[in-house]
Amino acid sequence: MVVEQLCKDFGEKVALDCVDLTVEPGSFVVLLGPSGSGKTTLLRCVAGIERPSSGVITINDVCVAGPRTFVQPEKRKTAMVFQDYALWPHLTVKKNIAFPLAMSSRSKEQKDQRVDDLLERVGISHLASRYPNELSGGEQQRVALARALAADVGLILFDEPLSNLDADRREQLRIEIATLTREAGATAIYITHDQSEAFALADRVGVLNYGSLVQFDTPENIYRHPKNAFVTRFTGVAGECAVTSATPLDDDFFDVALPFAPSHSFKALGIDCRAGDPSLHFFVRASGVALNAPGDDDGVRAEVIDVAFNGRGYEHVVKVDDQMTLTKVFSVRRFERNANVKVSFDSSACFVMAAQGSRSS
Amino acid sequence: MADVTISTTASAVVPGPEPRTRDRGLDKRRFSLGGTAIWIVLFFLIVAPVGCFLILAVSPRLFQQGSQWFTLTFVRQAFTGYTGQGIFNSLWVSTLVSFLAVSTATTIAWLVHRTNIGARRLWSLCMWLLLLMPTWMMTLGWTDLLEPHGAASAIGLNTSWLYGEFFGPLGIIIVLTSAALPFAYFIVSAGLQGLGPEFEDAARIHGAGRTRTFATVLPIIAPALLSAIAISFAETMSDFGVAFTLGYHVHFPLATYTLFSAISNFPANFSVAAVIAAVLIILTIPPIALQSVVMRRSKSYAVLSGRTRAPRRREFGSRSRYLSSVGVGLIVFIALGVPILGAVIGSFVQNLGDATGAGAHFTLSYYSQAIHPSTVDNSLGSPLVLSNQLGLVVATLTGVMAIVLARRLVASHGGWSQRITDILLLGSVAVPGVVLGVGYIFFYNLSFITSHVVDIYKTLPLLMLALIASALPGQTRFMAGPVSQIQPSLSEAARVHGAGRFRTWRTTNMPLMSRVLVWGWLLTFTKTLSELAIAQILYPPSQEPASVTIQSYLANFQSGTGTAMTVLTLAEMFGVIIIALAIYRLVTPEGWRRTGWSVVK
Repeated sequence: MVVEQLCKDFGEKVALDCVDLTVEPGSFVVLLGPSGSGKTTLLRCVAGIERPSSGVITINDVCVAGPRTFVQPEKRKTAMVFQDYALWPHLTVKKNIAFPLAMSSRSKEQKDQRVDDLLERVGISHLASRYPNELSGGEQQRVALARALAADVGLILFDEPLSNLDADRREQLRIEIATLTREAGATAIYITHDQSEAFALADRVGVLNYGSLVQFDTPENIYRHPKNAFVTRFTGVAGECAVTSATPLDDDFFDVALPFAPSHSFKALGIDCRAGDPSLHFFVRASGVALNAPGDDDGVRAEVIDVAFNGRGYEHVVKVDDQMTLTKVFSVRRFERNANVKVSFDSSACFVMAAQGSRSS
Repeated sequence: MADVTISTTASAVVPGPEPRTRDRGLDKRRFSLGGTAIWIVLFFLIVAPVGCFLILAVSPRLFQQGSQWFTLTFVRQAFTGYTGQGIFNSLWVSTLVSFLAVSTATTIAWLVHRTNIGARRLWSLCMWLLLLMPTWMMTLGWTDLLEPHGAASAIGLNTSWLYGEFFGPLGIIIVLTSAALPFAYFIVSAGLQGLGPEFEDAARIHGAGRTRTFATVLPIIAPALLSAIAISFAETMSDFGVAFTLGYHVHFPLATYTLFSAISNFPANFSVAAVIAAVLIILTIPPIALQSVVMRRSKSYAVLSGRTRAPRRREFGSRSRYLSSVGVGLIVFIALGVPILGAVIGSFVQNLGDATGAGAHFTLSYYSQAIHPSTVDNSLGSPLVLSNQLGLVVATLTGVMAIVLARRLVASHGGWSQRITDILLLGSVAVPGVVLGVGYIFFYNLSFITSHVVDIYKTLPLLMLALIASALPGQTRFMAGPVSQIQPSLSEAARVHGAGRFRTWRTTNMPLMSRVLVWGWLLTFTKTLSELAIAQILYPPSQEPASVTIQSYLANFQSGTGTAMTVLTLAEMFGVIIIALAIYRLVTPEGWRRTGWSVVK
């Protein structure tokens, strides 16, 4: 699926701003971004239920939207799992799943068998004759997933399918979505605002902001080499603060001085960074922060503000002077509230870049 | 328009969530053509006839009805004497009736929807039956019951003390309140459905007693209450049935009757009639506009999807349950049962109301006379057949047009064109049937129209057009609510999964709308059958609809036969409804009946 210079306006509001995106066959692409970033609009344009203002969409080398072309959604051979499930309330579970097969050339027996197989595969065979309003949220979403798989199409679209589910169901269904989609060999475009969900599912992640595709890369690269401050923040930072100075070192790293530790120097990866730029900020991932006892030589002084047990260990909120608060700082050992500690940073999880970067450069 | 106005319940019953924005580009081409066609239709159906008629109020010469290009003479004339009294009476009666109807309806709605009162479905059904019953039939029933030696005395009840009271403003208020009750009930019911139990729970948990809890949650349904008052006022102002039957006979003029008499007397005074019409419309537009604004602002979260849940009910003890059931039953009996009882008895008892004391006795002669008249008078047969034919055509055409208009009304991308259509339809609800009828007489008799556009004056197609024009705004708003409730994603899911537009509509929208389509059709059909104002004004020579035939019998002191005809017509209306619903139940899949908009919950 290829999107070229795709734009979409709603009156004066720019929902998509010249987006370019290529999705390889069989890959699982996640579009990540905050509300209003354009990810839903992009998905709906691909599905054909929104018409782009300009640009081209190609699916399987066939142009489905362009300057003089618009292929109706029913002709695009896609399937979609909706955020609100969109199950037809007057049809049973079985009939909801069978809907996409109505136009196929299979025999009735083959269609019935396919539906039964899918019911079995998603674990809801016992619910076949029920109606949607008799099902829980997780069950409804399974039906929606089975319906999308029944279509047996090459491209499946997911519109934040897990956002209405509670945490334990979400995790379970995420795994099923990933497994079933890959088993089917389909190409998937999945949208979410949850960074951890995106990283868990995706082969490649596209980060959107204000209608622009800011970065499109593997989850690892996005995490380790974010393109700008927006991507860095959206994919999770423990904390950030303004830098006093930044001196370039080898290999794109910088020697950074921070206001709360003038005698220390910190090493951080520079992202489009120019020494002397007054807007430079220092960012650190939670995975790059280590908590030490106050007597340790390594690190700068800090105070524990809050601590929470998460099963594997403890997550702390730590205040470093008045300049920086660090969240989600993990330690197997528990440090109590108001305790003095020392924090040290792993340079591979530290970045220095302009503070206001938000759109793609 | 009052006789067929069912609309306003719709826009208030189920206002629905904000529909998802759709691309202007995709629909722009189709919309321009469709929008233009809709405007043309609405122009000839409603705007032109009513507009041209209203102009006569100040410019009679424009249509050769007087010598002045501009004058306020007729305005002054309309506000004095008999006609002025009619306007004043309509105003205060409508105000009083709206408050009475809403307070009664709110009590009934709360009991039916939020408690375990007995026979809930029956009370809801009775509200629908009340909606179907025309006011002139109600008046007839009460008259037959209470007149000296009437039906009440025939069954041994002395109601002479009530007779004098009823045949005056009190009777008018009772009948009009009964007529307004279902409108208020459905609007308030919708408001209560949006009032989840969590609001009361939150108040109680945080220390509020029952009274304070009630006062805390009341503002949540205040929009529904305001809407109900507005619509009840508008419906009462527009009513012709009571004005024509009761108001005239008790010398208590109402505006709709004075308008009718202005054009039916000789010489006809179209200009005064136009002033009265303008006053009626001006007085009814603000309440209807208020209702529309209020319901648009107060968002309902009732959405037709697979996730709809039922509200919780308060459990009465057995004594409270019994008393409340009896109370509601009494109100329903007074509103619905009494007129039906009066009419039925009046149709089976001869010498009813005969002051000579010849003695009332059971008879079938009135029914025999109704079907096979011994004189040259009309039987009910042909008029009723004609009314049925009109009902069939009008209901079907109106239903199709209403669906198209309803979809346009709830679409989010229509812009100013959609807004104008919305205002037109909204304003049209405020046009009383009698005004529409007179407007049609006037407009479709203009020489320019008969020579160059269409010549249908004094024909059945003209009557049919007027009936469609009368029913369309109401039917559209009736459907707009359920249409707006259907999640757009249901249609989108069908399209994405391979269904074309028609299959999408057939497999998703139509099943969810099937009940509202059927009920909309039935309401329009029955309203057409019993329609009086437009029929009285526009019926072609020798082609009387049933309501006109019945009125002519009643006016010629053949009330027994007229009452029998009324009962037969009423029985046919209810019979058609029962048969249609039975067929619906038999032929439609279970899923269609499980979901969507429900008449009786």
